[in-house]
Amino acid sequence: MSLSLFALQLINGVEYGLLLFLVASGLTLVFGVLGVLNFAHGSFYMLGAYLAWWLSERTGNLLLAILVGLPAMALIGLLVERLAIGRLYLRDHLSQVLLTYGLVLLFNELQRALWGNDVHGVATPKALSFTIPLGEAQTWPAWRAFTALCCIAVAVAMRQVILKTRWGMRVRAGASNAEMVEALGIDVRRVFSVVFSAGTALAGLAGMLAAPLTTVYPGMGESVLILSFVVVVIGGIGSIKGAFLGAMLVGIADTFGKVLLPGFASAMVYAVMAAVLLWRPRGLLGPAFEGR
Amino acid sequence: MPEPLLLTEALTRRFGALAAVDGVSLAFEEGRVHAVIGPNGAGKSTFLNLLSGELRATRGQVRFRGLDVTRATPDELSRLGIGRSYQTANLFPELSCADCAWLAAQSRLPSSMRFFRPAERYAEVGDRAARALDVCGLSGRRPALAGQLSYGEQRQLEIAMMLATEPTLLLLDEPLAGLGHDEALRVVALLTEVARGRTVILVEHDMDAVFSISDTVTVLVDGRVLERGSPDQVRNSAAVREAYLGEEIA
Amino acid sequence: MTRRILLLAGALALGAVAFSGDRFWLQFLGKAMIGCILAMSLDLLVGFTGLVSLAHSAFFGLAAYALAGVTNRLGLVNPLLTFPVCLLAAAAAALIIGWLSLRATGVYFIMVTLAFTQMLFYLFNDSPALGGSDGLYVVERPVDSRAAAYVAIWAALVLAYLLLARILRAPYGRALEGIRVNEQRMRSLGYPTRRYKLVAFVIAGALAGVAGYLDATLYGFVNPAQLGWRQSGLILVTVLLGGKGTLYGPALGALLLAFIEHYGERVTEHWNALIAALVIAVVLFLPRGLAGLVQGGRRA
Repeated sequence: MSLSLFALQLINGVEYGLLLFLVASGLTLVFGVLGVLNFAHGSFYMLGAYLAWWLSERTGNLLLAILVGLPAMALIGLLVERLAIGRLYLRDHLSQVLLTYGLVLLFNELQRALWGNDVHGVATPKALSFTIPLGEAQTWPAWRAFTALCCIAVAVAMRQVILKTRWGMRVRAGASNAEMVEALGIDVRRVFSVVFSAGTALAGLAGMLAAPLTTVYPGMGESVLILSFVVVVIGGIGSIKGAFLGAMLVGIADTFGKVLLPGFASAMVYAVMAAVLLWRPRGLLGPAFEGR
Repeated sequence: MPEPLLLTEALTRRFGALAAVDGVSLAFEEGRVHAVIGPNGAGKSTFLNLLSGELRATRGQVRFRGLDVTRATPDELSRLGIGRSYQTANLFPELSCADCAWLAAQSRLPSSMRFFRPAERYAEVGDRAARALDVCGLSGRRPALAGQLSYGEQRQLEIAMMLATEPTLLLLDEPLAGLGHDEALRVVALLTEVARGRTVILVEHDMDAVFSISDTVTVLVDGRVLERGSPDQVRNSAAVREAYLGEEIA
Repeated sequence: MTRRILLLAGALALGAVAFSGDRFWLQFLGKAMIGCILAMSLDLLVGFTGLVSLAHSAFFGLAAYALAGVTNRLGLVNPLLTFPVCLLAAAAAALIIGWLSLRATGVYFIMVTLAFTQMLFYLFNDSPALGGSDGLYVVERPVDSRAAAYVAIWAALVLAYLLLARILRAPYGRALEGIRVNEQRMRSLGYPTRRYKLVAFVIAGALAGVAGYLDATLYGFVNPAQLGWRQSGLILVTVLLGGKGTLYGPALGALLLAFIEHYGERVTEHWNALIAALVIAVVLFLPRGLAGLVQGGRRA
């Protein structure tokens, strides 16, 4: 493999990893704070992509679609949390798995009813339709660079909010001891709603950014969901840093896997997961004590 | 001097920079009741958790009958004859007293990987469970759900479950915590009975109980051994008094 | 006691259908009973051991593919040969996946089982050599007639129930219950709990394999969709619907779901939404399932 090809694959892997991070961070945030494992998280990714396509068809501009679509996703997240997720807070794992599984089925039917079974391409905005040259042989699409930058910006913003603001403090407190936080007069339910909406928006954003790259199709949420689970298992649940680390590992492993061992690309990722499990059953940066 | 039943050598457990248990070397003679006391945060519970395998030691060794058990898991230690009771009731809340005792007693079968004979047919298990409940005064409460017992009764069940595993070494973590005066007296009487022929390591705050039933008393402060001796020695030690900040010990 | 009689009556009624010769009912109820085996074996894990596994369909599909493999490639048809092979395949996979998955606890465990089941799905779905997304036909089935397949399924269901009921009444079953209620305490009482969970996982996986073998026998066709997490999710649905931890409940749940799936398909194109609504409703309003309504006891 030539150096420039290697560099290209590496950059692609990192960019893929960044997208995965966006999705996985939402998942791990929701679980870390609300204690709920949301199988419908992939559906939000899918909804974001469909929304991006539908809105960009109407407005002719993908960036505008994203701008409008993002608050829409947050609103959807809020609704889902109020109506369904909110009832899962003290329930057992089976109930959580099945309720969110039911939501997946529901969202799939919704998508099919609204937009049908076809695959849709999404055009990148003209402003970002150029390519960036890498060395002599390879080029990199500007949209991918934009995507990567967005993910990094979001990651940095998340870190700032969680570590440096009062809101973030409430989120962290709610994660470790919801009862105590409530006793201190802080509305934990509000914190939960906000966190869930944020998680939904994160997944939706990832879907919107990925739409031009992967096309928009039914079932696109599933593969992302599974991969983000792998990311979270590798990185440790509840840890955003872990999600980042895991996402990078998975993104790079998957990208190189597809190039080096085409038949077994997916297997690569699971092999990494199995290896991590053997060494660190709670993920690389997971909690020290028994998880929830 | 007979070889001690349990021996710790420079046993240490760190949590980050904090050494909750710091280089504790103690020998526990067989057939005696050994109390471990100390102010809050002294490392008593951590010490007990190290002995029962629930925490891994950062450094040091634990030997049981000469065998190095430092890295042993809780289930391995239990099968070696080390029994444990918990400070907060650690039962099977949705199961009856009889079932709780049963599970404890069943653990003594060479293996519970028995798939075909109904459990009730293992008479030895039933007998062992019934005896343990009887000793602890719970025979009348067999069908009651563990989660619905009174606080004192749950303590009794804790001890019954431990007894049903027929331990030679008993690790008791504050068995009298939260008990009223009468209940505490009952449990002390039970413990005195249970201690016969066995070795006990008792972590407790209740000083009356400690001094009435113990043969040796060890005082831990900040994870280290401050003093060790007979109840009288410890009671009269100035250093110990000071450690408790003038608390009335005697 | 009445419950025993009802179960016996139900079993006999199901058995009697074998003589009906009715093509539709043999196929439909045969499929439904396979669902019952899957549901009961998953209940061993979910309801009795407290392990929510999403890998169950993986063992179901693996055994089915194993049958296709040994029949199409090795020319083995005799069930006395093919059955043990497929059963072993499922059990071996359950051992490996179980051993790896049980290193994780709580939600990790659930996610890991999901990941492994998807891994197998992609393996079969993406390999043309293994039939790809279209699946494979079994060139010659272990038994020829539909009625014979039905009888085999019926016998397997009855035996599976009796086996599981027996295991659950034995010391092993008691240990599983203790593990479900308070695993940490079980460890401090001397039980090497991970071993017990692994054994349960393998037993459940093996029974799922039996179901898969029978499914391939009934239809003569295997495809990757049998292996994915959707399928696993549906089996979980039957467990919840029927009432986890009762053994007979999940079997009832499987029968009910089979009827709903069949008639739902005729009523509306969006019958998936119907299932979704049902699942959500059961989780929110009927968490103890049908058996909860009947207020049956815990032990089968």
